[in-house]
Amino acid sequence: MPETMVQARGLVKTYRRKDGSTVEAVRNIDLDIYKGEIFSLLGPNGAGKSTTISMISGLIEPTAGDAQIARYSITKQPMEAKKLLGIVPQDIALYPTLSARQNLDFFGRMYGLGGAELHKRIDEVLDFIDLKERQKDRIDTFSGGMKRRVNIGVGLLHRPQLVYMDEPTVGIDPQNRRRILDTVFRLRDEQKMTVLYTTHLMEESQELSDRVGIIDHGKIIALGTVGELVQKVGEEDRLILKVGQQKIAAEVLERLKQVEQVTSALYDPPQQAAEGADEATDGVITVFAKRGRRALPDVIQIANDASIDVLSVEVREPDLEAVFLHLTGRALRD
Amino acid sequence: MQKLLNITLNDLRVIFRDRGIWINLVLVPAALVFIIGLANGGFVTETTPRLRVDVIDYDGSALATQFLADLRAANDTLVLCPLDNDAEDFCRLRAGASERTLDEDLARQRLINRDALALLIIPQGFEANMQAGTPASIIYRSDEEANAPSLIQQAVQAVVQRTGGALVAERVGLDVADSLEILQFSDTADRDDFGQQIFTRAQALWAENLVTVNFTLNDAIERQLSPRQQGFGQSTAGMGSMYVMFTVFGALVVLIDERKQWTLQRLVMMPVARWQLLGGKMLSRFIMGMIQYAVAFAVGAFMGVNFGRDPLAIVALMVSFTLCITALAFLLATFMRSSEQASSVSLLFILTLAPLGGAWWPLDIVPEWMRTLGHISPIAWVMDGFRALLYFNGDLSTVVTPLLVLLGAGAVFFALAVRRFRYE
Ligand SMILES: Nc1ncnc2c1ncn2[C@@H]1O[C@H](COP(=O)(O)OP(=O)(O)O)[C@@H](O)[C@H]1O
Ligand SMILES: [Mg+2]
Repeated sequence: MPETMVQARGLVKTYRRKDGSTVEAVRNIDLDIYKGEIFSLLGPNGAGKSTTISMISGLIEPTAGDAQIARYSITKQPMEAKKLLGIVPQDIALYPTLSARQNLDFFGRMYGLGGAELHKRIDEVLDFIDLKERQKDRIDTFSGGMKRRVNIGVGLLHRPQLVYMDEPTVGIDPQNRRRILDTVFRLRDEQKMTVLYTTHLMEESQELSDRVGIIDHGKIIALGTVGELVQKVGEEDRLILKVGQQKIAAEVLERLKQVEQVTSALYDPPQQAAEGADEATDGVITVFAKRGRRALPDVIQIANDASIDVLSVEVREPDLEAVFLHLTGRALRD
Repeated sequence: MQKLLNITLNDLRVIFRDRGIWINLVLVPAALVFIIGLANGGFVTETTPRLRVDVIDYDGSALATQFLADLRAANDTLVLCPLDNDAEDFCRLRAGASERTLDEDLARQRLINRDALALLIIPQGFEANMQAGTPASIIYRSDEEANAPSLIQQAVQAVVQRTGGALVAERVGLDVADSLEILQFSDTADRDDFGQQIFTRAQALWAENLVTVNFTLNDAIERQLSPRQQGFGQSTAGMGSMYVMFTVFGALVVLIDERKQWTLQRLVMMPVARWQLLGGKMLSRFIMGMIQYAVAFAVGAFMGVNFGRDPLAIVALMVSFTLCITALAFLLATFMRSSEQASSVSLLFILTLAPLGGAWWPLDIVPEWMRTLGHISPIAWVMDGFRALLYFNGDLSTVVTPLLVLLGAGAVFFALAVRRFRYE
């Protein structure tokens, strides 16, 4: 039995809105994170990832439940628990008018570091995040990726045993993303840290995690290694048909399910570009099939018969996306 | 404590990173001290102000008259009403020239209306009692909230002491004379004359001995109530206090910003106690407020304002006002949801509390009800204190009430702020 770093039990967070209605951001989450592993919480936006992290880091008080960090209760012994924690918030949490070094210096002191030790740690961290040359520059002159790296660096100053990283790759270019993913591996492998990593990108989760918790609507709906989770959907391939803004009748899906090899068919309607800055997405038909490539011609045929204009077709091996789709009937997208 | 101080230092570092800070911290307040000082008559030549003291003399004796004369002499800013009333009815008796008299009921009302700042009643038999050596008292009443009474009271006390002392000397002298056979008075007039001589001599001696008291009073009044002192004293204290509010209320917006930029949340997720975090943030604002006061008073000193005889009392007032405002700012901050809201609420609070509390013009030119209402503003209390120190030569003991009110209000605001403060 591996040693447990984080043990959360019965975590609930209910937010009260101004108009009196309530939002159940997290509903009864149990979680065990083992020492030395990379654990990722995978879920769409609004699933409750940040709320969960906020509760197990002592930022917000749970409506119910508690979490222990190496046996220290975050609600009852917050100081002891917080000392063990390194946090990389989803938002860049830095003083924009101060330099990278000044930020590291200040936050290092908040972790109780000082003197020569602090100086040494700042140098090491600057090396680690590869920003030694820019240490004297103000944060507000940095690119998004550089800010993200300082944001991570602050969380590592005091050599925490446990690091929370809340969507650390949001909004940065592929090169910087790659760098951060490598950093996560180095934290586990070189620094022997335990990492809790949240993301809404199944590729990241799939690549990084020793174990994954899939979270949706404030609940953990699946938990295990990537392999274990993928097995849940069996050996099924996924056929992904982009169909644009057209309406898809229910009998089309029924007909698809009749095809040999096909186990189920789902339709995810297009989304308008109303919320946020996201572009409008296409409607997607997903067909699960034991042997995807075999079923493909029949599937296309049915689409043609129903005069559906198929924009693109893709065949995917089993992955976490499929698991999510299988469990929720919705695609995991931003 | 270390972490608290580090938070404070970091805040100050962030504040002074912004070069624009000097405009708000120095340039604008200095300009306002100057302009508002001018508006309050900083360079106008004006006669020294006069303070109305009501007198009801039931005795009408020579000693009573002497007493009043001494009182006038002790402090020539005192106008004894109705005795010294002039043709323009300076005493505000609001009656025909022949009917300008005073009874106790009217006098009491006048105290409440602040037509007079103090009331002296010399009871019947004052002289007789004094000469017989039995206790005689003079009744002194004042509205405790006014600034001037401590000064009037000091003058009265000085004169009472002198008169009392001279009388004692006279009595002793006569007793001694009576007991000595060589000294024979030709008649009672001769004896009275002897007594009178001792009285006069004793009084002169007392006056000499009390020269320090006399000096302080007269000198202070003349020097301090110059138009320059009045105008720039008002603007230094008033604009200084108002700008302390501006500087400290900056916390409202800063706390919102720190939430937006997530540095506040990051601090909460670190092993930092609530008291360290709140304490550090409050301390940095408090220091900024004190710097602001220092700037305003430096400008005042440059304009020639005299800060009275008790610098400790001035500092005590600054400290308690800044503490009070800091606590108020952090209480208000718990209600703010956006920076826009925070800046408009700050502006609203400052621009009502400052004039209401007499930061722009002295509260003694506004109607009674407004003066009373104005005292919901902490500025009114700190201005009462500054006026007592700058205009009326008060000391720490004179400003105890404003100090207590400010610290008390500050404690209440602080308690509420700590209870209400949330990080989310
Ligand atoms: N302070 C809050 N007040 C009300 N609702 C909130 C608050 N914070 C988050 N929520 C809601 O809780 C849900 C979960 O949010 P969050 O934990 O941020 O999701 P994620 O990090 O997975 O994107 C969302 O529906 C969000 O709108
Ligand atoms: Mg989130």
